[in-house]
Amino acid sequence: MATARERLAKARRFYQIIWALCLIGMFIPLVYPLGLPVKVSEPVKDYYEAIANLPEGSVIAVSFGASAALLDEQEAQFLATWKTIFQYGHKVIFYCSTQDAPIIIQNELAEVNPEKYGYVYGEDYVILPYSPLGEAGQAAFAKSIRSIYSADIEGTPLDNIPLMKDIDSYKGIDLLIYEYTSCTDVEWVIRQWVVPYKTKVLIMTLGCCGPMAAPYYPTQIQGFLSGSGAGTELEVVSGNPGPGAAMSDAKNLGMLPFFIAIIWTNIKPFLGRED
Amino acid sequence: MAADLIGGFIGTLFVISVMSMLWRDNLFFRFGQAAIMGATIAHYIFMNFQSVYKNGIIPLMAGNVMFVIPILLGLLMYTRLSKDIAWLAKYPTSVLVGVGTGVMITGTLRGQIIDQVKQTVLDAFTGINGIIILVGVVTALSFFLFTKEHTGALGTCVKIGRVFLMISLGANFSGELIWYLTQMIGRLMYILNEFVWPLLGA
Repeated sequence: MATARERLAKARRFYQIIWALCLIGMFIPLVYPLGLPVKVSEPVKDYYEAIANLPEGSVIAVSFGASAALLDEQEAQFLATWKTIFQYGHKVIFYCSTQDAPIIIQNELAEVNPEKYGYVYGEDYVILPYSPLGEAGQAAFAKSIRSIYSADIEGTPLDNIPLMKDIDSYKGIDLLIYEYTSCTDVEWVIRQWVVPYKTKVLIMTLGCCGPMAAPYYPTQIQGFLSGSGAGTELEVVSGNPGPGAAMSDAKNLGMLPFFIAIIWTNIKPFLGRED
Repeated sequence: MAADLIGGFIGTLFVISVMSMLWRDNLFFRFGQAAIMGATIAHYIFMNFQSVYKNGIIPLMAGNVMFVIPILLGLLMYTRLSKDIAWLAKYPTSVLVGVGTGVMITGTLRGQIIDQVKQTVLDAFTGINGIIILVGVVTALSFFLFTKEHTGALGTCVKIGRVFLMISLGANFSGELIWYLTQMIGRLMYILNEFVWPLLGA
């Protein structure tokens, strides 16, 4: 009979093997791309169509609450979304609700390059700096943007920015894309945008937060992206390739050892082995 | 180019230092952890200070005296650092709780209770998925009914509800697991794209 310490050591070794196999599985598609097929889910289709079906020149506000620590999970979503918005010629107001968001959005826009789509900063898109919004901040932003932000990220007063001249509340916004990394934050947008103003809302969040956003779809939110898988789907449906494809392949192969381990540990007791 | 490679190398070192925890706790991991925590905290302090300066101090200096109130309330939060005057921190806390509750209460009732109940019931007439959701909602809620003993019909309902809750928690957990993997894949991609491929000239 193995002692508790021996059993723990054995379990630890088992985890190490699983993680090592997982690491190898993830590594292969990154070096040799596999191009596994991707099925686009309904929330992602609706997400894409909500952007694509807006009349050209519509104003989209993006509440950007990204975190550098969680960027890998959402980068595919971000890049595919920005490219989709730009290819349909919508105007965008990015406003940052976390400390990391200004750096992330500036890096991403440098990569996507809005100028390539004929965009001009200040006329077609604008970035508003970090403000610790929270739920009360979202409510205030919907009522009056100038009550939260007096200037853009470069310090230019909002009244001097052509895009912002006639926009100061939810009335000037045709669609809100709400990005967050704390699962319960979805409630903020429901309470402060959807219920009082019936604003059309799309959600971008982490994979683990998807189940909390799903109950609001499709009646209160028009579509949602949860996790890097949804980012890959958006890349496919919008025709904008990005980092999601390689990530999805790596994830599928990386999951295999866990999948086999779950099956193995469940059937093992029936095979008559003691431990 | 060389600067990018050095940046990629430093980033790779930190990624490996954090991932070395998978082997066991070690000095390299602790160094990486401390460095990342330090840099993160410094970044957050700077961004928050900048936010207070831009949104509070500048408008105040421009003559908007109303901004004295939030700045004062913010400063009162620091009274917690002294036991003798820690009670003063209750004022900003009360304001935060009061405003937070006031802001959320109306939206909660309409958006998260009335609309959700309405849609759950209406969806039951649209097909099998709607019926499953309705059964799941009712039975899962019955699991939290503690004023009556879970026997008879209620007991059966609770057992079904427990299955739905387990499925829901399982879905959440699988989301978490996939998220961890994505983080790891992201770091592997970083190592390859920012350090390995540039080093090999690929």
